[in-house]
Amino acid sequence: MERLNPRVRVVWLFLAVFRAGIVGGFLVGAALVLSETGLWANSPDLLVPGAIGLAVALGLVRIIVAWRRYAVWRFEVQDDGLYIERGVFTRIKTVVPYVRVQHVDSRRSPIERTTGLATVVVYTAGSRSADVAIPGLTPERAEQLREDLRRLAIESEGEDAV
Amino acid sequence: MRKLHPLSIAVRSISRSVNVGLLFFIAGVFASPGGAGGTLVSVGGMVLLGIVVAVVYEVAYYERFRYELTADTFDVASGVLARRDREVPLRRIQNVDVRQPVLSRLFGLAAVHIETAGGGQTEVSLQYVDEEEARRLRRQLRRGARAEDDEGEESASETRDSSPDDEEELLFEIEPRELAILSVFTIDPGASLLGGIALSFLSGFDPSTLIPADLVDGLPGAEGGLVALAWLVVLFLLAAWVVSAVLTFNRYYGFRLTRGGDELYYERGLVQRYSGTIPLEKVQTLTITERVPFRWFGYGALAVETAGYAPGQGSRGTESAIPLAGYDRVVGLARSIEPFGEVDLEAPPKRARERYGVRYLLVVGALVGAGYLLTTATALERWYLPAALIVLVPAAAHLKWRNRGHQLGDRYVFTRTGFWNRTTKVVPYYRVQAVLHTQSIFQRRRRLASVTADTASSASLLGRAATAYDIDDERGLEMQLEIEERLQERLRARKRERTVGEWFQHDLSNDESAGDDSE
Repeated sequence: MERLNPRVRVVWLFLAVFRAGIVGGFLVGAALVLSETGLWANSPDLLVPGAIGLAVALGLVRIIVAWRRYAVWRFEVQDDGLYIERGVFTRIKTVVPYVRVQHVDSRRSPIERTTGLATVVVYTAGSRSADVAIPGLTPERAEQLREDLRRLAIESEGEDAV
Repeated sequence: MRKLHPLSIAVRSISRSVNVGLLFFIAGVFASPGGAGGTLVSVGGMVLLGIVVAVVYEVAYYERFRYELTADTFDVASGVLARRDREVPLRRIQNVDVRQPVLSRLFGLAAVHIETAGGGQTEVSLQYVDEEEARRLRRQLRRGARAEDDEGEESASETRDSSPDDEEELLFEIEPRELAILSVFTIDPGASLLGGIALSFLSGFDPSTLIPADLVDGLPGAEGGLVALAWLVVLFLLAAWVVSAVLTFNRYYGFRLTRGGDELYYERGLVQRYSGTIPLEKVQTLTITERVPFRWFGYGALAVETAGYAPGQGSRGTESAIPLAGYDRVVGLARSIEPFGEVDLEAPPKRARERYGVRYLLVVGALVGAGYLLTTATALERWYLPAALIVLVPAAAHLKWRNRGHQLGDRYVFTRTGFWNRTTKVVPYYRVQAVLHTQSIFQRRRRLASVTADTASSASLLGRAATAYDIDDERGLEMQLEIEERLQERLRARKRERTVGEWFQHDLSNDESAGDDSE
């Protein structure tokens, strides 16, 4: 079983902090608006500190989940299919037979480029195709994986998927 | 290249004008609450302008639209402002639907919709052609233009080609009794809205006229209001129910399902007519649904899912189905499409039932909590009343557990779930795209897992993929492996069959010296 590159934690942590910032900012902002402008006549004194507390707690959960995600993520290029294991709360083990692979992409978002990582996305005709993305690969590994998957998909010679 | 029927300009213009006119009418009404003469004239002018633009556009659309059925593609050139040329390979066509809304039916026209897998919407819509042309397209589209040419040239092959159509075998025809049951018990989501509109028209846009004043006045203040409210709710539900029954009756009136060669053909509808073909080789999943009131009468429904319908097309993905029939007949029909054997489902382990019990207990707890909050804020008392629902928890958990199951057959995966809406899915192994083994934290506590066999069926886009819920987690892993192995095995077997079939076909075509390409 292959693990992801540890640097992927940087990407996930950054995203977690960024999203927690947006949600937290919204929560605290709403609390401030309610208490300061007098929209809610006699709002409880704890409204703003409570909102801040909630925002921090949600942010912490996000950060812990982002950290844990790395420990759970695994994938393997098996004989007949690509096997993926992931998910912190809901653990998902997916098998994608190579016969079913429609096409393979590798992509790099801005954060991934700064950390020197890449993502390989495997598309099937199935309804959950977006689920099959392998993040946290070095560009070389991503390139190699994409080539391997492409070759395996062609060798498997399936019939039309739909 | 062929063109659409000339009358389609009229039909399209009318429906577009109605839409545009309505839009401008509503805009006009909102913009001029005083209803001054000057604004009325200008609004009328705007509406007229909109109609003229619509008609001009439709004439251009008609002039630009060309289509042609060739030996192995269906070519369409269309577009007024942005031109678009398409070639749809016939092998890629999934469903072909023919629709006749009221207006086009009056003119004897029909719309032909051609679905392919992939893409965000219906691939090709021919609006409109005449009924004869719609029938021809429906019959020829998946076979290609070759059959059609033969028909024209020599009468000998004509009889051979058209014979499968003439010998269409009737699989199912809805009986008046079934239609009645279906109409009475189906809840149409759009009906509540229409029911509300009908009620407001009946009452002259003043809900208070619907309240029986003499009854309410006899009661003291607050209770009178409650009675009036309850009365309105009852009226509303009644109206929604009647509208729903009428809509359902109209939708499934005269439902017939026939089989000709390798295609299913359905037709239905009283005011609007709908018909279409479902290619059997494109079937992804069969879904047998037994909704609660119908199940008690021993009835079920069958949906034949293909990859043809795009997401967001509502219930259309399951339109190609038998709306209601006796359960045995439904299973018989399903078997005639996919010859699966006896279904003997394996139940989830008993600890799954405990899980449902705990889940429902939590729901009751939440209700009690909400009740408590409600009593602190309002004059209501007895917050503990919802706790009585605890009596129902064991029964509910048991029913949920009893209606779930799965089975790995020789060629098919079977899954079942749902008490209110019991759904049994039949998935051929060779249609499986990916296999997912999922475990939530609550499932992990009880060593349970759910296994999903994902297919390209468009219905599973709405989260209705074939899933075996709450099975033992070890068994789930085995099941995942087994589905994957059987998929490979079935694909190899089908490939062998195909290769042999190709040789056979090749020999045949050589004998006939037709030079048929056996792809």
